[in-house]
Amino acid sequence: MKKLLSVMLLVSLTASLVAACGSTKSDSANTDKSNGSTTKSEKVVAWAWDPSFNGAALKIAEELYKKEHPGFELEIVDMAKTDLEQKLNTNLAAGVKEGLPDIILVNDPNIQKYVTSYPNTFADFTDKVDFSQFSSYKVDALRIDDKVYGVPFDIGVTGMFYRSDYLEQAGYKAEDLENITWDEYIEIGKVVKEKTGKYMATINPNDEALTSILLQSGGSWYITPENKGNFVDNPAMTDTLRIYKAIADSGIAKPVTGWSEFVGSFNAGDVATVVSGVWQVASIMDAKDQSGKWKVAPIPRLSVEGAVNASNEGGSSWFVLDGSANKDLAIDFLAKTIGGSSEFYERFLNENGGVGSYIPSFSSEAYSQTSEFFGGQAIYSDFTKWSTEVPGITLGMYTQEAKDALKNELPNILNGADLTQSLANIQKLFEQQVQ
Amino acid sequence: MKKLSAAGTHLFLIIVSVISLFPFLWMLIGMTNSSSDIVKGKFSFGSMLSDNITKLLDMTNLGAAFGNSAIIAIVGTIGTLLLSSMAGYGFEIYRSKGKNRLFGVLMLSMMMPFAAVMVPLFRLFSKMGMLNTPSAVILPSITTAFMIFFFMQNTKSFPRELLQAGRVDGLGEWRLFSRIYMPTMKPTYAAAAIITFMNYWNSFLWPLIALQTQDKKTLPLIVSSLASSYNPDYGIIMVAIVVTTLPTVLIFFLLQKQFVQGMLGSVK
Amino acid sequence: MGSKNKSSLMGWQFVILPSALIILFSFYPMIQSLLLSFQSGKGTVYHYVGLNNYIRLFSDPMFKQAVLNTLLYLIVQVPIMLALGLVIAFLLNMPKLRFKGFYRTAIFLPCVTSLVSYAVLFKSIFAVDGVLNQMLMSIHIIQEPVAWLMDPIWARVVIIAAITWRWTGYNMIFYLSAMQNIDPSIYEAASIDGASKIRQFFKITVPMLKPILLFTAIISTNGTLQLFDEVVNITNGGPGNSTMTISQYIYNLSFVYTPNFGYAATVSYAIVIMVAILAFLQLKVGGEKE
Repeated sequence: MKKLLSVMLLVSLTASLVAACGSTKSDSANTDKSNGSTTKSEKVVAWAWDPSFNGAALKIAEELYKKEHPGFELEIVDMAKTDLEQKLNTNLAAGVKEGLPDIILVNDPNIQKYVTSYPNTFADFTDKVDFSQFSSYKVDALRIDDKVYGVPFDIGVTGMFYRSDYLEQAGYKAEDLENITWDEYIEIGKVVKEKTGKYMATINPNDEALTSILLQSGGSWYITPENKGNFVDNPAMTDTLRIYKAIADSGIAKPVTGWSEFVGSFNAGDVATVVSGVWQVASIMDAKDQSGKWKVAPIPRLSVEGAVNASNEGGSSWFVLDGSANKDLAIDFLAKTIGGSSEFYERFLNENGGVGSYIPSFSSEAYSQTSEFFGGQAIYSDFTKWSTEVPGITLGMYTQEAKDALKNELPNILNGADLTQSLANIQKLFEQQVQ
Repeated sequence: MKKLSAAGTHLFLIIVSVISLFPFLWMLIGMTNSSSDIVKGKFSFGSMLSDNITKLLDMTNLGAAFGNSAIIAIVGTIGTLLLSSMAGYGFEIYRSKGKNRLFGVLMLSMMMPFAAVMVPLFRLFSKMGMLNTPSAVILPSITTAFMIFFFMQNTKSFPRELLQAGRVDGLGEWRLFSRIYMPTMKPTYAAAAIITFMNYWNSFLWPLIALQTQDKKTLPLIVSSLASSYNPDYGIIMVAIVVTTLPTVLIFFLLQKQFVQGMLGSVK
Repeated sequence: MGSKNKSSLMGWQFVILPSALIILFSFYPMIQSLLLSFQSGKGTVYHYVGLNNYIRLFSDPMFKQAVLNTLLYLIVQVPIMLALGLVIAFLLNMPKLRFKGFYRTAIFLPCVTSLVSYAVLFKSIFAVDGVLNQMLMSIHIIQEPVAWLMDPIWARVVIIAAITWRWTGYNMIFYLSAMQNIDPSIYEAASIDGASKIRQFFKITVPMLKPILLFTAIISTNGTLQLFDEVVNITNGGPGNSTMTISQYIYNLSFVYTPNFGYAATVSYAIVIMVAILAFLQLKVGGEKE
């Protein structure tokens, strides 16, 4: 009995001690906050998901803002992107404000989803930032019912990175890669494969990156602005899937099953081209031995009306929580830095290789620099030029649902099923999912 | 014939062991290589170990995370073992219709996917004012139907004559439990401790939600955020993974003796 | 009779506190979730829909696909894993076997690996240029690399292999610890009587371990029907949705798609009902008395 009692006592003691530690700590955090507010609270908390990219951007912004507001303090909480989304959803769904930050990073396809699912949760930025200074497709993604809900941040304007040495070996010059269609791309790929033995591209049926790039370059998306499925009677969708299948069938694409394999394939020199967002520059430059061998061209285009040689892959924006204690400070901080400072974007590019959509920064020295790695090409001025051509689309609320519906049918399409029938199936599946 | 079957046994066990261990070797090798070598699948030791360790220590507060994980796992394991074995003992030794029904109902609790109860559970802990504390991580799984069930099933082979003998000696109910049941069931406690420690140590989804500030984070949360950057450094991740894995391996080494004790006693 | 009455009153002091904790931390949220399953909407904007969510289940192709995938894992993987775990435990419990400490540790280790390492590892082994393909090609079993994770059938095989790799040692621990309660003299007597090892396994070990076998069967059934980590981290449900499980679907409904917590709760209750029925059947077949 004694022994047992003592063990139980020990356990309950430890447990209560732990609980006490926890609560006193959080108490002290609270008092910190209230203490702060008496001396005018200047601390803002932000959630971000990549310390070497968007976290680093916040640090730059903090430095800039501190020049005018010396008392300003920023705490950045790093976590994985999916973790962040999950925490945010749980907090908001439970109606628990405790522990939420003032600022969060939102992936662009999630914007409408969040604003619609959690009304009155995110601060309105409409009058806080001069949005005419940003690429319009980026602002379009943030606008819901005439209100703009955040500050545009990084963009993923796409380019076709290519190994100039492989393509030369196959008999192609830089001009041959400008303004081409995807069908021409496939033909070039066949020659490259034949002459150099290298693949033209990678393909991963589990990843929707390529289909997304193709769709947006045709001014279209998986769903309509009214959040309906956009699979049937959509020439851009039909052509996207036709090209996707053609690439898969042509044998010019090396199959990869995940991100690290994808990156590994070009770092190892297995592929001649990589069609991807501008942020891929960092991964490409990881292979230091390939310096001078890379170049970037505009991406190929679809064979439909209105299609352009420019698109976007990924990108994110900063939101402020409407209920946060330091809402006004957080808004001011973002508006003065990420929402309106050319210096911020110049430093972000120089220090972290991040590209934004703030037009005034495009004419800066940072954006016109040439890159030795890319054979002396001024890659960022090219990327920003293409970014102004990217068609603006509404990402809507159900992008992920629509992608999954497509993924479900993609194996059948690749196996040669009738495309019209397949698209009808996808449309039906999507409509069943979204009700 | 005998020798042949012994050789067969060893061959089988060696194959299973190699398959089981291969990833650990890969992990150790990875720890000493650069990220790009790991992606390329380089299968030999490199010279990046100290670089990777330094970078990891620079990037994260590994010590604090280790401490947080340790408190949660140790307190949680002690509590779970005690509470679950009590319940398992009570349900099995003193079987009755009422208790059987209660246990049947409790079993339902482990059949619910965690993702579905997360939001209400989060609200509950917010009301109790315990978010962002180790208690919030420990309490929801401090007694589980799973562990109670485990103790019940093992108690079925517990020699009840021992309790009878204890009663004759005049021991009370709690003392029968602590003086007779607990020492006899050592192998069961050891197995339960390993499993529970591992569950707490590796738990991810709930700590992610319940812990809110950087200083309260546990090791798996750190590893997860490292692995998710746009350009993950696998060398650093490998070091973090090894650090995360070591304690559970250690606990296993410490406790596994309990499984063989009975056996050694009989062989002498 | 007298002792039975006594035991129905006795023992409650051991049971009350743990039961109360489970009720607070599991049943309270479960009841909230049950109430939620009669609602539908987006995020915090939802309304009462009666049984509509439950009706929707039956016409939801994604849900059907997830159930089929999950049941496939259950039927194929659980028996393989339990049999393997039991055989290994039996071998490791043989008094005269050498190096058993090494084997035991090696075989247990996979289940201590954290999720991230597990995912990084399996993806790299089964990659197109991965170790496995290179090995198979070097011994000429295959001519060209197999895209394991891109073929619906192979992807399922990989998932099953991964779960088996990770959880066999875990079940072995349960068996090993339970075997310590079997009196070794029973085996000795059987050996003297000339019973082979195989006969001993089926005539002594299996019957003596019945309670723990039942336990692992129910736990594994439960674990498989809630399977999540492996699939999300290795194939993320692909290719297509051919490896997606019910739990992953619940997760997607709550945290990946436009959140519909009501419908997610409904899908969760579908799991509860399925596990409850299977556990009940297993207890019946396992000969557990009321």
